[in-house]
Formats: sequence, C-alpha cells, structure tokens
Amino acid sequence: MVCAVVLALAQAPYALIGRAAPDFTLRAAAGANVRLGEHRGEVVVLSFWSGGCGACRPQLAALDRSLATYASAGLAVFGIGVDDDPIRAREFAQHQRVSFPMLLDPQKSVGRAFEVDNLPMTVLIDRSGTVRYVLRDFSASSNEIYFRQLRALLNE
Amino acid sequence: MPYSPLMNPAVARRRRAAHAGAPAGLLLLLALAVTPLALAVPPVAPATAPPASTAGVPPADATTPPAASAGTPAADAAENPDTRGLDTEVQGLKKDAVDLNKDLFILEEELLFPANTQVAVFLSMDVGNFFALDSVQLRIDDKEVINYLYTPREVQALLKGGVQRLYLGNLKVGRHELVAYFNGQGPNDRPYKRGATIRFEKGVGAKYLELKIDDRQQKLQPEFVIKDWE
Repeated sequence: MVCAVVLALAQAPYALIGRAAPDFTLRAAAGANVRLGEHRGEVVVLSFWSGGCGACRPQLAALDRSLATYASAGLAVFGIGVDDDPIRAREFAQHQRVSFPMLLDPQKSVGRAFEVDNLPMTVLIDRSGTVRYVLRDFSASSNEIYFRQLRALLNE
Repeated sequence: MPYSPLMNPAVARRRRAAHAGAPAGLLLLLALAVTPLALAVPPVAPATAPPASTAGVPPADATTPPAASAGTPAADAAENPDTRGLDTEVQGLKKDAVDLNKDLFILEEELLFPANTQVAVFLSMDVGNFFALDSVQLRIDDKEVINYLYTPREVQALLKGGVQRLYLGNLKVGRHELVAYFNGQGPNDRPYKRGATIRFEKGVGAKYLELKIDDRQQKLQPEFVIKDWE
C-alpha cells in the first residue's frame, strides 16, 4: 500500500515543469540571505528537506558530492528546510556537513510555490530559470537519474 | 515561400540561394551537404544538370571546382549585406518588443494603482558603517504589507546609491500610519532592530514616502528616518 502511494507520487506529473521557477528570498541557517533570481545563468538544484526525513541526510550528502564535482561548470545547490520549528531546522542544517547554503522556510511559502508533496524532493532549474526536472525520492537509481539530468542541463 | 524576418537565417539563406543563379545553386548544394537541417528541403536536381531557374544562364564551367566559387570573397560580400539587413530587422523587432513591454507595464500600473489612491514607499541607504541591513517589515495602519529580505548584492546596490521601491499599493484618502521595522547587524556586529513611524495625510494625488538609513557619526549609531515627499 505504502509502496503504491510512493510510486504514485513519484509518477505524478509536476505542474511546474517547463515553467519559470517561482522567485524567492530565504534566510540561511548560516550566512547571507539567498535570492533564487540572482542565480540566473547557473544550473540550480533545490532540495527540500525536513529534520524528520530519514532519506534527506544521504540525499544532501549526495548533492554535496555533485556540487564538489560540478561547481566550476556553473552549478548552485540550495537545501530548503520546510520544518515548522525553525530551531529544529537550524540544528538539523548545522549538523549536515554540506558546503551549500541550507535555507529555512518555516512558513512553507517556497514549499507551497514549488508544490512540494514528498520529502526529499529535488527540483532542477536550468540556466534560464525554467524548472526542468523533479525527483521525488532518493535511491541509488534516482541518484543516477539525477546525475544524468544534471549533466544534460550543464551541457546546454 | 516569402522570407520572414523571424525565419532562421540559415534557412533563409538557403531559400535565397535556391532562387538565385548558378553559383548560388552550388552554394545550396554545399549547404545541403553539411547541414543536417537540409534533409527537410526537397531534393534538387543533380549538379551536372543546370537548375530550372538558370535556363537562360550559361552553365558553369565543368573544370571549375565548386568550392572555389562558393568560398570566394565576392560570394561572401554578396551575402553580408543580406545578413546585416536581417540583423537590423531582428534588432528592430527586439526594440519594439521591449517598448511594448514597457508600455504594458506602465498601463498595468496605472490601472492597478491609480494616481488618486497610489502610495509608494522607497528605501535608500547611505554609508552603512554602523548597520548591515537584513530585512525590512512595513506595516500600514497596523497591517503588514511587506516583509522584505535583502541579499548582500541588494545591500551593495543600495550602498552604491540605489533607491528601491519597496512597496506600491493603494490607500484611501485620509490619515494613515506607517511603521517600518529594520532588522540587521548594528555596531559591533550585534543583532539590531529598530522601528520608525510616520503619520501622514493621504490626499487626492499619489503619495511617496522614503525610508532612509543613515549613519549618525556623533553617536556612532545608525539612524532611520521616514521622509514624506510632498
């Protein structure tokens, strides 16, 4: 039953594909505020996470590895925490040893704008600011798909 | 088919070449050989047979290599004026699109925010030695209208003399109160939050207010002022 729900979510169409990514400014757990619109010209990966999500930790680590490899090619990665409790979210963010900004969205305005329906959820945005791909889970196979899609966007 | 200014230049060039004489026909053949897009073009007669449009023109010398005539400077020069013309047309179209967008933007603003109810709040910064701006919250008549987070780039732009239109809205004629809360880092990098209030009279015309962040050198503190542009 659970598998069927997860599968249905993974296959559900994502309405934002092909559309301009909604712009936002968010506070980071550490460091300066981040505005998505300032990263036009880069391939942007947004990863939505929560402190209570088990698969989010390995996924954030995998994203960090991809950033280490492709940062020079114009990749920007942002983690977006959608926890209700900002203190808990901040603690979670500080415990992740990732090199990209971990943003906090306690009001979930960005989560709603990106229609987040599962965690972890990864959204890939191309250099022109258009949403191109979405991944609604994290596994070895989805990680392979992520890298394939990422390379395709970086090569454009 | 007529040429369109929006047509792909490569396709347009091939179509022009198809209507031209023998050297242009050779150019077309070259283009067909190197361009994958050429597969979509209907097949033409083989090189040995003169094209239909060149019936009145003597055929090209069989000893002349086709590449020689295609790559000559004369042939390039013949093409360049067309390309320049096309570029000019494209630039003209782009300018028209930008002008149209500007007109639509102004029209939209005039409709959404008519001059008799319009209120606009601007923000400017000067020096910024004692205050690093992080966010501004605006409340008009005790109702939050905007909560704006600033990135380092935006703060840099403000420090370079930029003026930001923070809020644009509508208010009815009468007395109103605006409260602005400024968040950031104050002297000694400590979290710093200050507020400023102004009571203003909204008349029939548009109302412009400016939030000004300045350094007060004597007190070594930032200063927050709201100016009413009469």
